[in-house]
Amino acid sequence: MTRVEKPHSDVMQDCKRNLPFLLLCHKSISILHCSAAASKRNKKQDHCDRNLKSCSPRYRKPSDQCGLPEDCITLQWRLNNFYLFIPAVQKHPAPEDTVTASFGKFISEIKPQHLSPVVLHRSKRMVLDSIGVGLIGSRTDVFELALQFCQHMYAPDHISSVYGRRGIRLSPTLAAFVNGVATHSMDFDDTWHPATHPSGAVLPALFALSDMMPANSKPSGLDFLLAFNVGIEIQGRLMRFSNEARSIPKRFHPPTVVGPMGSAAACSRLLSLDPSQCSHALAIAASLAGAPMANAATQSKPLHIGNASRLGLEAALLASRGLEASPLVLDAVAGVAGFSAFYEDYVPQPLESPDDGGHVFLLEEQDMAFKRFPAHLGMHWVTDAAAAVHELLVGHGLGQVSPHQVQDILLRVPQSKYINRPFPESEHEARHSFQFNACSALLDGEVTVQSFSPPAMSRPELHFLLSRVRMEHPEDNPANFNRMYGEVQVTLVGGDILKGRCDTFYGHWRNPLTNESLRKKFRSNAEVVLPSEKVERLVEVVEELDRLDDCGALLSQLQ
Amino acid sequence: TQTVIRSSDRLCFALKSSILPHQGITESFGAAIQALNAIHLTDGVITRSKRMMLDTLGVGLLGSRTAVFSKALKYSQVFTSEQRSSVWGRSDVILPPHYAAFVNGIAVHSMDFDDTWHPATHPSGAVLPALLALAETLPSQPSGLDLLLAFNVGIEVQGRLMRFSKEAYNIPERFHPPSVVGVMGSAAASAKLLGLSPAQCSHALAIAASSAGAPLANAATQTKPLHIGNAARRGLEAAQLAQIGVEGNPAILDMDSGLGVYYKDYSPSPLADSDSGAFRWILDAQDVAFKRIPAHLAMHWVVEAVLAARAKFLDRTGNFDLSQIQNITLRVPRSKYINCPLPTTEHQARHSFQFNACSALLDNKVTVASFSQAQINRPALRELLSKVQLETPEDNLPSFDRMYCEVEIKSAEGLSSLARCNTFYGHWRKPLSQKDLEEKFSLNASTVLCTEGVEGVIDVVGNMEKVTECSVLGSYLRMTSTSEQLYSMRIM
Repeated sequence: MTRVEKPHSDVMQDCKRNLPFLLLCHKSISILHCSAAASKRNKKQDHCDRNLKSCSPRYRKPSDQCGLPEDCITLQWRLNNFYLFIPAVQKHPAPEDTVTASFGKFISEIKPQHLSPVVLHRSKRMVLDSIGVGLIGSRTDVFELALQFCQHMYAPDHISSVYGRRGIRLSPTLAAFVNGVATHSMDFDDTWHPATHPSGAVLPALFALSDMMPANSKPSGLDFLLAFNVGIEIQGRLMRFSNEARSIPKRFHPPTVVGPMGSAAACSRLLSLDPSQCSHALAIAASLAGAPMANAATQSKPLHIGNASRLGLEAALLASRGLEASPLVLDAVAGVAGFSAFYEDYVPQPLESPDDGGHVFLLEEQDMAFKRFPAHLGMHWVTDAAAAVHELLVGHGLGQVSPHQVQDILLRVPQSKYINRPFPESEHEARHSFQFNACSALLDGEVTVQSFSPPAMSRPELHFLLSRVRMEHPEDNPANFNRMYGEVQVTLVGGDILKGRCDTFYGHWRNPLTNESLRKKFRSNAEVVLPSEKVERLVEVVEELDRLDDCGALLSQLQ
Repeated sequence: TQTVIRSSDRLCFALKSSILPHQGITESFGAAIQALNAIHLTDGVITRSKRMMLDTLGVGLLGSRTAVFSKALKYSQVFTSEQRSSVWGRSDVILPPHYAAFVNGIAVHSMDFDDTWHPATHPSGAVLPALLALAETLPSQPSGLDLLLAFNVGIEVQGRLMRFSKEAYNIPERFHPPSVVGVMGSAAASAKLLGLSPAQCSHALAIAASSAGAPLANAATQTKPLHIGNAARRGLEAAQLAQIGVEGNPAILDMDSGLGVYYKDYSPSPLADSDSGAFRWILDAQDVAFKRIPAHLAMHWVVEAVLAARAKFLDRTGNFDLSQIQNITLRVPRSKYINCPLPTTEHQARHSFQFNACSALLDNKVTVASFSQAQINRPALRELLSKVQLETPEDNLPSFDRMYCEVEIKSAEGLSSLARCNTFYGHWRKPLSQKDLEEKFSLNASTVLCTEGVEGVIDVVGNMEKVTECSVLGSYLRMTSTSEQLYSMRIM
């Protein structure tokens, strides 16, 4: 409460206090834009006051804050004073024809009606799946460490909820961080083409930001979905600026490159920032992007998604305070790298204005892959191929697989160093090992959450199989999720050869999970953490998200 | 029995280390960070690093009154924690350690006034704010010598990493170096102050590597100072994450897909064992440059050359009339991000050969005030800017160790005046005298601190190796100069 008692006689302060209500009100935002010419402080105050008066009653803020519970006042005061700021007066309008400006304009101007039924449907599936993997991820060691870190380093801050932890709330950026870590902690989250994990960087940031907004003016479900889709779309567009990015990466972990940008874009959209602020948010986020691939298959990889979510939110909040960055960050400028620093073959393209009617969301044309078990996407091909061999082996005689029948295991997979791990030592390494996933599936007929537990990983028969594995990288099997395949060839002691091949696993965008399968995955993940009423409620709320007036119904079910 | 176990342990250890043919590079860094000790600090390194600390505190204090600092501070004040760290030059603000490191780091680089090393990076701004923020939260206060040691570890690691790439010897084109090596330096220094084990030190570096790298395009914008603030903050975070057991790739420095992603010609080498006698501090061999104007380092050559050419021009013409100048030719290295013909913001002006040349020509000096919006917008200056031509001779390399600046001023009557600067005053080949360094500090610090505070900081830093608790520095950094705050200080 000490902050509420601080004197703030400055009229500007009072003006700022009312801002979230303005920011949440699209009408008043456009009025604020009209006031862009007012550069002096006192002029801003006038405009701000006028805007307040012109707001529709729903968004009007009683100046004496009467009728609100005390906690609520504290929260609002904090929100109003610290997080949000009047859209900055634009001193140097960015040239309209730059790629960067086109992105800022798109983020700022896209509207819910631009979302097609297909895009709505697909994005709701992503939201549901991402919540589910986040919930089960809230029981992992790495999540525990991340949460402990936030709780140890910062005072309690009852704002944004933490997946699956009833009663635990954190400052918004910290909640975005831990929930992002949860989402990627088991490598169970969605994968797009070109390869990145798009939802984990965006959804936790949007939840954290929505939690920050006053209870009576949360974004609608549709606004929430729009912001989510903006975050996904920006990531997809940026991935297409490089041909290299179409293959499984070697240098930067893609979610750390495009993830913070997606989070910044989504949060800028939800905050209704103006086009210039949206482009600054992207540029600020670019300075927070990029982590080396070498940290894949370690505990630091889940931190990549957590940080993408957190830092994108931070970039949007800083941009909303008027912080400026390069207006050319996405453009190719020789000798001064912007976003191109992360790619060898960078060719940026402007984004069409949504109003010209020419814009089609990438998600409309390129669906998502959902994982059936918690491992790197490349593991799904080899696992399905190995499971087919398992069936043959079981049929071959004994009813169960006896490792000592196996003379040799040949895997024909793409060449990608960081998922080629003959003898993984940690769960994180196991999730990135062709060998481990193939042998687990050979042995068990499937790979599940349990396959990565220490008892399952330390089985002697599994290690026996691992010692029999050879790998080949055929020319026609590129390290690309749209073109790769997995082939498993097992030679038995007697000389018999059994073969399995997977061109498209179930869950891949060419062979998508049915709604039923997706919900089944969600339920089994969520039930680890939440009571079944909440699990069912989440399924319903996400299904009707685009028709909800208030996304609070979703926020309240996450713990 | 105990002795037996111990000696057999030692035997095992000895066997292991003789079996391992060579230590990994990351491992050697983790080991060195843990093992370096105050006795390893040489007199030369102590003197030089104390100068760096004093200069960093001064530019940080001055920077705490900038617009970018205020924005970052307001944002940071949403966070609270039980651990509390101070903001330099603010007696009334307390932040969680990460955010104190963040805003103080931003302050240090807000005007581009902080030190520059070779190969090019700004080493101190990423390290000192993290260390001071962390020191305040430790249960037992580190001594001045502990602080000096951790600081030098942070600087050393940056210097070593910069030498892993030949490309890094030149003025950069892709990543802003402090965003790459700075966060690693902060992680190393913080790990040292936290007393982490060799393995934890390696993990701290690995975690920090995932927080590294910001594109150069954000140079000359408000976001550039954030690069230093984030390096300080996220290095500290990485060390603390490693402390609670988070792991990254223990070979992060060894791999092209590790720290190598930030360079095109990455070629790492191990850090010598501090006890082997082969260890030498880079700072002993390579001093830093201290700036005299709040602008990119390359501007210093330009300003000195212009001032010399101006004096010659004046000698010939007797009086100085701008309208006589027909054109100004600058011969400088090719570097796109500091070639800015018509800057409109202070951040662009600090990264503009042209602006700094014209300011020096017009005012016979370049100072902190030269970068105010009013000064940038002067019609006389804009007029001069239109007369500047930039040439980038082949022999003028974009390296702070080898570049020069040549200036030629020509009048309408055909008079011309030529001057060249090979090494400006403040460069490592021509270091600032202690008196001038302290004068720079006093000028910067007194914009924020009272006299007692200014003198106190000079005194504490000057005697740092003898100070028993480094927290005394913090108390002087809070002695602000407004009368109201002085009053409350006296009551205390």
